[in-house]
Parts: sequence; structure tokens; C-alpha cells
Amino acid sequence: MKAVIDNLRREAVRLLANDEVKMVIGYGEGTDASRTTPYFASTPEQSAAFTWGPLCANNLAKHLLDYRYEDTRLAVVVKGCDSRGINRLLQDLQFPRERLVVLGVPCGGQLDRNLIAPEIPPGARLQGIEDTGKVYVLVTDKGRLSFPKDRFLMPKCYLCETNMPVVADFMAGDPVPSPAREGSDRTAEVNEIEALDVAARSSFWDNEFSRCLRCNACRNVCPACSCKECVFEQAVPGWQQSGIIGSKANSLPENMVFHLVRMFHVIGRCVDCGECERVCPVDIPLRLLYRKTLKDAHILYGAGTPGMSTEVQSPLSEFSPEDPEEFM
Amino acid sequence: MPRIGVFVCWCGSNIGGVIDCPKLATDAVNLPGVVYSTEYKYMCSEPGQNSIIQAIRDHRLDRVVVASCSPRLHEETFRKTLARAGLNPYLLEMANIREHCTWVHNKEPEKAQAKSLALVSRAVAKANLLEPLFPSSIPMTKRCLVIGGGIAGIQTALDVADAGHEVILVEREPTIGGNMVKLDKTFPTLDCSACISTPKMVAVSTHPNITLYTYSEVAGVDGYIGNFEVTIRCKVSYVDHTKCTGCGDCQAKCPTKVSNEFNLGLDTRKAIYIPFPQAVPNKPVIDAANCRYFTTGKCKICQKICAAGAIDYEQQETIITEKVGAIVVATGYQLFDWAAAYGEYGYGRFPDVVTGMHFERLVNAAGPTGGKILRPSDQTEPKTVVFVKCVGSRDPAKGKEYCSRACCMYTAKHAHQVLEKVPGAKVYIFYIDVRTPGKAYEEFYQRTISDGAVYVRGRVSKIYQLGDKLVVRGSDTLLGRPVEVEADMVVLASAMVSSGGIEDVARMVSVQVDKDGWLQEAHPKLRPVETHTGGVFLAGTCQGPKDIPDTVAQASAAASKVSGLLFREELATDPMISTVNQAICTGCGLCVPVCPYQAVELKTITERIPGHAPRERTVASVNSGLCQGCGACNVACRPGAIQVKGFSNDELVAEVDAICL
Repeated sequence: MKAVIDNLRREAVRLLANDEVKMVIGYGEGTDASRTTPYFASTPEQSAAFTWGPLCANNLAKHLLDYRYEDTRLAVVVKGCDSRGINRLLQDLQFPRERLVVLGVPCGGQLDRNLIAPEIPPGARLQGIEDTGKVYVLVTDKGRLSFPKDRFLMPKCYLCETNMPVVADFMAGDPVPSPAREGSDRTAEVNEIEALDVAARSSFWDNEFSRCLRCNACRNVCPACSCKECVFEQAVPGWQQSGIIGSKANSLPENMVFHLVRMFHVIGRCVDCGECERVCPVDIPLRLLYRKTLKDAHILYGAGTPGMSTEVQSPLSEFSPEDPEEFM
Repeated sequence: MPRIGVFVCWCGSNIGGVIDCPKLATDAVNLPGVVYSTEYKYMCSEPGQNSIIQAIRDHRLDRVVVASCSPRLHEETFRKTLARAGLNPYLLEMANIREHCTWVHNKEPEKAQAKSLALVSRAVAKANLLEPLFPSSIPMTKRCLVIGGGIAGIQTALDVADAGHEVILVEREPTIGGNMVKLDKTFPTLDCSACISTPKMVAVSTHPNITLYTYSEVAGVDGYIGNFEVTIRCKVSYVDHTKCTGCGDCQAKCPTKVSNEFNLGLDTRKAIYIPFPQAVPNKPVIDAANCRYFTTGKCKICQKICAAGAIDYEQQETIITEKVGAIVVATGYQLFDWAAAYGEYGYGRFPDVVTGMHFERLVNAAGPTGGKILRPSDQTEPKTVVFVKCVGSRDPAKGKEYCSRACCMYTAKHAHQVLEKVPGAKVYIFYIDVRTPGKAYEEFYQRTISDGAVYVRGRVSKIYQLGDKLVVRGSDTLLGRPVEVEADMVVLASAMVSSGGIEDVARMVSVQVDKDGWLQEAHPKLRPVETHTGGVFLAGTCQGPKDIPDTVAQASAAASKVSGLLFREELATDPMISTVNQAICTGCGLCVPVCPYQAVELKTITERIPGHAPRERTVASVNSGLCQGCGACNVACRPGAIQVKGFSNDELVAEVDAICL
């Protein structure tokens, strides 16, 4: 892990010193021992603050959108799952490839902060992280803390599809084993919900959505959400029309509309990075909702997870004269 | 708040006989935005329209809902009514309570009443959000491209050229004339096909308004109605036609003989050849695949013999671009490949089982036999000839479901010709039905029967060779017993199918291909020569099977449509097209590939935001000349930046809510 961090810093220094990029987006030390924070380095000196490890859950691909209309080159650090987001943004022409340097890091799985935070003594300062293969050891000034990978990783890591980036101009380390569990079924949880009858399924989601604060964190962190003006922020969005012309009482519950519209908006764009679920302050299982669309897209169109390559367009974005026209 | 007027039409008893129109009008007053509502027997009539105009004035209406028939029928009528009243014509919304309600629910008047109100509510909900729309104009290039130089293309080109417009006629073969020039006599008048088509071919080549590109193909079409840019690829003929005098010496001296496609392989031609003596242009091309010089590197006899020095073995393909305002597709038909589908007829192994087109060449005075009907196998005169109709037509299992329309008549003509030319000949015709709808067609068929042709109703199940005879087995379904005929020759009336490469042409001009492979007209009855792409028209059999009179009629129809278009200085475009809200467009470009009309492109705009330096950004842009308002881009656009004017997302959602909530 130390070697990867050194490689990353060296490459960041080189890119900034040679003026190849104006900024490198990576991870920096966090406010406590259980997390890191996105870090934006604009000078070679600042690059010394870059870090990498199993506490780097953030998908940094999203930050490219903040710079999409600038004319400067950027470098961004991505894990396997995040790299799909890069491909999707490239496919949607949201960021030009020639202005982008992708710095890939090999990921052996990310620790779930909800699980490890209670184990860390208050005020502990992180001094280093060791990867023994099966266990991540957090070295702090208040002792060494061991977190076996089979218990403390984020749930998405056990279903990992690509722990190495699918796109990278520079790799900061050699491949490491995938944290995916042997024989794991990515559709298992979706199947469970699907097995419920309509009423039970409806009440399940009603219950989940009822907690929603409409904080928009899921939208703001999502690399698939690239609209300039979100439909939910338009002055009179179409879905509220009936509130103006007819009666507000006729409208669907707004939280449900929010989540279902978001679900439809990200079909074919959601790269299953799981950021929405991680940032949700009220723990709505959003990834489950979007994985249902991934499953359906796979069954209906044979589509894989979006962003695996820039060659394959998402099924709802492609038109070919050979498309079946069964409904015509 | 809009002031909406609702006008319920009885349509005589069509609507008024099923639902209570006065009640519907009374109920409609309670809908949001409606300030006036009335009903009348015939809203589309003069007094009906005048009552709308009067109500607009009296009640200061600014939106109008007409509950009547399909907008396809009278939307244009009522738009004009609004315009006469001084309202923007697009502030009209129609509720189709006839086709969508009273016609289909006439047995359930109560439910029909409720559904009518729902349909009116939908229209009112949308009317609340309607905005005035204004057509824009685009310039017109007063030239026309005709693709295909058969009789349809020839007729269209001549008619458009005679109207005073420039025409570019592109034909992929070395000569124009198409299938018609191969035919012998034409039913029902028996005038000679060449005698009536070759003068038209000459007229094309000499017409000052027609530019003819033979041995050329359309390689690409860009642009839109009034402003197409066409790329034409001129194939290499290795003969400089500006020098060639058409003397024919090269053809006479050429040592290589190959199968002659003009005579469907019934005889041979040379490797440098003029397809037939009356070809236009009457200049040869070299078939490089078979030319001795091109295959072995030695020969050059044609170059030595050519007094004009026209042979050029180094000639290169040329690409020409032409600007036109309209395009007519007249790519015609070819015959169904029966040999691949009909094993029971010998898979094409028996030389004396031929198609109707072979028969045309055999009976043609300019054909390989000089007009004597001779069997291909041994050049003897057949005494017994069997005709089999519907080979590949009306046979969904092996061929096409449709009727090829011309076969009944040409088979009757063939039968007549056999009986006329071969003394003592016997003719049997196996048929499913005899279809003779056309002027003097039935009379011709009856004459063939009185000539002695034996019509047997039934399909042929097997044909096999027995000595020098062909045994034709079938059944007579009228007598209900099997029939076996020993024939000398069998002529198959094989189906018409669209020309090879039609899909490529269709894609280039953005016209749909229907399930049978024909090009799709805009409306089967009311817009038979137009397509859904503005400025693109259809002529002849590319649209479906036809005989010569229908083809020529349709070609002239297409020409009159084109002429009408080209006489305009500029074109008003339909305002109900896509529009991009560039402020929220993210420039993802998904709308570009989904557009079937190539109407959307990405362009760079400079954006000025307070507090920022001007920045460049890519956004979608819709070409109002190309866009047909289909809405595919609207669906693909996830930021919701693309809306179809007159069908905005807000309007659609309001309609759905009005009906469903």
C-alpha cells in the first residue's frame, strides 16, 4: 500500500511539475482515522498529501463534472468501480478524453465506515494501513486495529465486478485479488424483493421512501447525474403540472416520484458504484433500486454493467435499423 | 388563465347517434379553463366554422377544443378556422370522439358518454398549456434527383423536366430502360414495349433539362427538403463516352464471350458491350471482371480497333455532388428467386422451366431467338406450354404473402402469344384466382380463353423431367382431382420483389422499408407518392408491385408533386418540431444517433454567465428543415432539454393526468 501511495504521489508531482495537468484529484487524509477526503492538488508540493487505502470510498469521477466546461487538463484517481463512471462520462461527452489523465489504483476492497468507526478509539490518529491479505490493519497512535476483510468491507465489495480500473492512463500498483465473494450472486437481493407480492413490495418502498429528507445527496454524488439543471429544481417541473392545472391531491407522493424518476433517469448510466447508498443519511437502500434496473436491462437487452467499456452504448441510448419493431 | 372554448360535433348520427352531445357540452363547461361550450350537427360545415369564429369573438376565447373526428381529417380545417378568427392556428386541440369512441363503442352509449368526456378533459388539459407556434421558411433548390432509370424514373424525369425544372437521373446499369425495355408486347393492347419505351429513353437523353448519369449510383444523401446534397458515384466504364461514337467495332472484335444478363443468360455478349441495340446512352462499357486484358494483362484489341481512341484502361471512378430540392426514388423491382425456394419445381435444374421474363425475351423479335418461341434446352418449338401463376406470390410459406398484380395479365398475354405463334399449341395455366382489374383487362383474359388456353384452378405440386418432357403435377380444385400434364416448357409467373440494394437507398433517403421490402408511402390512400421524409417521393414498383399503366400514372403523380414543390421560392416548415433548450442541454449527443432523419447535430455555443469568462460548450441543435417532429430525441433526452413543440412533456403529462387521475 505504501508503494502505491508513493507511485501515486510521484506521478502527481510529475504531471503538475511538467504542467501536463492543472489539477490532480485524489484522496487526502480525513478528519478522523476512519475516513479520507477528496483532495485537489494544483502544485507539486500539494501532491505530498495524497493517500490511498481501504478508506477511499468516494467516487471521484463525479468531480469531473465541476470542470467539464473549463479548458484545462485534469488527472483523477479511480478504483475499479469508479472507473466505470469515467467511461460513462466519456460516452456522454461530458468530459473530453484528451483533457483527462486517469490514474488507476488497484483496490482490494473498501472498509465499511459504519462497521469500523465504533471500533476506533476516539481521537485516534491514523499512522498507516497494512494489508496482510485477509486483514486490513489500521496503525494508529492508540494501537493497531485489525479488520478482517470477510467481515468489515462495504457490502458492494463482496459483489465486486472489477477491482482493477477498466480505464487508466497510469497504474499506481500491481493487480491485487478481488474482494468479491466466491459464487456471489449480484441479483440475489433484487430477486428477494421481486419475490414479494405487489402490496408488500409497495409497502417496503413506501416505508423506505418515507424517511427520505430530499437532501439530494444521492443525486449530488452520482456520476450518472450530469444534467445542468435537475428536473427537480425546475421552476414548474412537468410532474407537478397537475398541481397547477388539476389538484395537488392527485399527485403521487413526491418522495416516490423523486426516487422513481431518478431511477429511470439513470438506467443505462448507473455504474453500480454504490455512492448513493453510502451517502444517504437515512439509509435508503438505493443501490437495490438501481440494481433492479441493471438486472432488467441485462434480461431485456443483454446489457452488462454500464461503463465497462466506451465501445458498448447503453441499451436505451442506442438506435440501429435492425432493432426489432414488435410493437409496430 | 386561458379562456378555452369547447365545440362538440354531432357528425350527424356518427357521434350524435351514440352519445348525448348537449350533455357532453354541458359537462365540458366544468373543466378547468373552459369558459364556453356548445354543440352543433356538423362543426366542419360553413355554419359550424362560423359559430366557432363568432364564439372566439364573443367570449374572447384564446384556446379552442373541437370534439369531433380524427385530427387527420379536420385538424387542418379547424386550424384555418382559428386563423380566420385571428387566433394562432396552433391554439387548437382536437378530441377524437368519433373514431376513438362512438364508432367503436356504439353498443355501449353510457360508457361512450363517459369516455367522450374523458377525451374532452384530455384535450382541455392540453389546451391549457398550448402555446402559439409559427412556421419558419427554408430556401428551395429548384432541381430534382430521380434514382432509377426504368419507366417510372423516365416518366418522372420527363414530366418534371417538361415543367421546366432541372432533373438529374441516376441509373446503376449501363443503360436506362429498366425492366420494361426487356418486355415484348404489353397487355392488354399488345403494343410493342420497345416501341413505346425507347422513344422515351431517347427523349430523356436529349432533353435540355435532364442530366443523365448511367452506370452510376447514389452514394450518399445529406440535407433536407429543398436542400439535399447528393453524392453520385460514377462507376468505371473504361470507355471515354465523350469520345466514343458508339460505332460498335470494339464489341464486334472483342474475343471474350460471357453470359448476357440482358437476355437473362439465354445467349452471350462480349466483355465490352452495349446491353442492347437501342440502349441509351448507346455507348459500350467494359466488364472488367471478364475482360481478357484485365484478367490476363494481354489483349487490348478494343483499344487498337477504336478509331476514336475512346478506350481508357486507366479510367478512375469519379464522385460527383449535386444539390437538389427533391428526390424521387424509382428503383423498381426484380423477380423473386424462385429457384432457391421451390424445390418441387426443380430448384432451377431443368432448363425448360423458365420465368415470365425469360419468356418475354424468347418471344421478343429483338431477343436471342429472334422472336421464335424455342426451348432453351434444345432450341425446338414447344407444343405444350404450362404456365404456373403465383410462384412466390400469395405463398407466405415459401415466398411473399402479397399478390404481384401484373402476373395474371402477362400470363394471359403469354398464353395468347403461344397460341398465336405456335400452330396447334396447347396451353395450360395453373392459377389460384384470376385477377383482372383494369381497363380492358377482363376482355383480354376472356379472349385468351376463347383462343383456347385451358385454365386449371390449383397449385402445381411437382415438376420433373421425363425424357425430353416436363411432367407437371397439380390438382384441379374445381373438379377435385389430380391433374398431370406432359409439357415441353413451363413458364413460372414469379413474384415481383424490390430491387437489390433497396435498404441502402432507403437508409440514405430516410424512408421506411415495409415488411415485404417495399418502400413505405406516407399514406396508402391519401398520400401514395409521398414519404414521411419531406421532399422524398416514390414512383413505380419500389413502392409495391404494379403494372406499366399504374407505374406510369404514379410516376406522373410523383412528378406533379415534385413540380408543385419546386415552383415555390421557399418552404414553410411545420412548426411542430423538436426544439432544444440549450440552457439545460448537457451536450451528451444521444439525440444525434436516435434521430431517423439526421436532423439533430451537435454545435458549439459560447455561453456568457455573469462573473465568468465566456466559455464554449457543446449543445444539440435541430435542423428545422429535416426534423419531422417524431419525438425520438425527446425520449432520449434525459435532461429534458429537447421538447417537441405542440407535444411538450408538460402537455403530455397534463393529458395523461386528465385521463388517468
